[in-house]
Amino acid sequence: METIYQALRSWFANAPDGVLRGVAIAIPILFIIMVFPLIFAFTTLVERKALGRIQNRYGPNRVGRWGILQPIADGLKLVLKEDIVPAKADKVVHFLAPVIAVIPSLLLFSVLPIAPGLVPVDLNIGILFVFAISTASVLALFMGGWASRNKFSLLGAMRAVAQVVSYEVPMVLSAVAVVMAAGSLSTVTIIHAQSGGVLNVTGWFVFRPWGLVGFVLFTIGAMAESARTPFDIPEAESEIIAGYHTEYSSFKFALFQMGEYLASIAMAGISVTMFLGGYLGPGSGPGLFGGLISMFWFFLKLAAMIMTIIWIRGTWPRVRVDQLLAFAWKVLLPMSIINIVAVGLWRFLQPRPLAWVLTTVWVVGWFILLTKLSATEKIQKREYRYIT
Amino acid sequence: MSVPLNYYLMLSAFLFAIGLCGALSRKNAIIVLMGIEIMFNAGILNLVAFWHYKLFASLTAQMFAIFAVAIAAAESAVGLALVIAVYRHYKSVDVDEMKSLKG
Amino acid sequence: MNAAFWIISAITVIGAVMAVTMRNLVHCVLALILFFLGIAGHYFLLRADFLAVVQILLYIGAVAVLILFAIMLTRHVTGTEGPSELGGKWWAGMGTAIIIAGLLWWVIGRDAVMSMLPAGEAKTSVVEIGKALISDWVVPFEVLGVLLTAALIGAVVIALEEVIRRR
Repeated sequence: METIYQALRSWFANAPDGVLRGVAIAIPILFIIMVFPLIFAFTTLVERKALGRIQNRYGPNRVGRWGILQPIADGLKLVLKEDIVPAKADKVVHFLAPVIAVIPSLLLFSVLPIAPGLVPVDLNIGILFVFAISTASVLALFMGGWASRNKFSLLGAMRAVAQVVSYEVPMVLSAVAVVMAAGSLSTVTIIHAQSGGVLNVTGWFVFRPWGLVGFVLFTIGAMAESARTPFDIPEAESEIIAGYHTEYSSFKFALFQMGEYLASIAMAGISVTMFLGGYLGPGSGPGLFGGLISMFWFFLKLAAMIMTIIWIRGTWPRVRVDQLLAFAWKVLLPMSIINIVAVGLWRFLQPRPLAWVLTTVWVVGWFILLTKLSATEKIQKREYRYIT
Repeated sequence: MSVPLNYYLMLSAFLFAIGLCGALSRKNAIIVLMGIEIMFNAGILNLVAFWHYKLFASLTAQMFAIFAVAIAAAESAVGLALVIAVYRHYKSVDVDEMKSLKG
Repeated sequence: MNAAFWIISAITVIGAVMAVTMRNLVHCVLALILFFLGIAGHYFLLRADFLAVVQILLYIGAVAVLILFAIMLTRHVTGTEGPSELGGKWWAGMGTAIIIAGLLWWVIGRDAVMSMLPAGEAKTSVVEIGKALISDWVVPFEVLGVLLTAALIGAVVIALEEVIRRR
């Protein structure tokens, strides 16, 4: 915001100060509410195309060249459909739920830095703010499921609450590792702490033993939090119809989808910021040219993260409820605590090679131990009975 | 240009009274717990207001607020566990029906 | 600043009143969440950013969800109550609340010093809070850790009573 204000100041030197401040506040807001929903619209297209490719079919290809206008057609269709509210539903809560689903997801973008100095608000509690806001999104799921007066909706809502609450913990703890290494909760300072190294790349936290572990934990947690496919039991079609949004149609359904996608895009952005160096990359830096290159790197990494999430969705089967909760409490949670210890070791062990070896041994050793301990059944070697 | 401290004190006194009213006059044990939460929050708001108007040395009031928030969370967890245990026993969460100790 | 104070106060008070007066339990919790949000807004206004975020994270993310779970476990899922939702001696409770509110308002109104205090320019940094927590306040901090662990175990034991007895 400050950077935009300074730039405006230098261009329109004799404009009144209040107007410039207002414009400097309005630009990031407009950017958030216009650019990210656009990204959301095209993410749905890319997702359908990529899933089609994974499943050996074409995906949307009728509306416009390569189906490029498909999101617009989908949006129009959803807006024009009849909005049905169940007769027994709790009208007010039923109406409020989709609205509340979108607001936190949009708020998440307000601490994402996309180029040096270009961050809507540089809160000194940025990461904590992200977690607080993302927990609030669970309320929308609960409200939607409860207000519909449908047993499948309610089941989906309760599953969603249990899942989000239990995946919140390892996610926050894996972010603690980053906060310890960077010494700050602010997203801007975290990116600063990752600069340097060869081509501004080797400083990224993902290239540290604890950073890699944290990245994997955070990505799993973020996917579970936004109910993406391997963890989509709150809306598992084959078990409970569509979970908490079974009774939603028309624009309210679109809002639920939008909230969910925006949350997962925002979480991809946060994980880029915390582990993949945010806007850092070869050639990034302050100034107009450096800023454009930084923006390019940020959106490239964001796109890569989104593609990875889609790829995971296309290739993994859905986990069971008990597997999901056991995985969160028996593997992810202990691993994230162990990861915090690993950051401590990294911080205080002086010769760097020694730190590398010790933290790697510590993390890998515990990982093997934990997976051995939490394995409930021995996986048998597969037998092929009918092939002789 | 900020409001004076006693506005905050009056607000939190009012909220405290609402919480007390809810805790004392409702029948449902869960609402009683919610009333207690409202009272807690009113008290913590006071502490933060004192901190903002520098009535205490540097961070003392805010530290108190942080500890109070943490303890309130523990209290609500134990309280709700008790409510569930009581519900198992009496098949009701009505505070008026829990009178087996009455002579 | 003044307008913000009045708006947020109105939200907070409406949330609190609705939380203790609504008939439907789930509506009560949603109103309570509104109240928590209002309190968080006040913290932002008072420049206690860290506490505001902790308020949202802890109260809305954890306590409200916990209460919702308790309602789902103890009531019909619609959250509706029986014919009378007031306790036996409700008038005594109301009276006590009104008397306490009156007394507090009278005392605060009498105090001339409070209204004279200048607004602080203080803004906490998280770094300060963190340093204070592990230097001056380290003993309460550790005791709090023990207390939270005890509360956690206690809550699990109370809620699991049935299962333990059955074994």
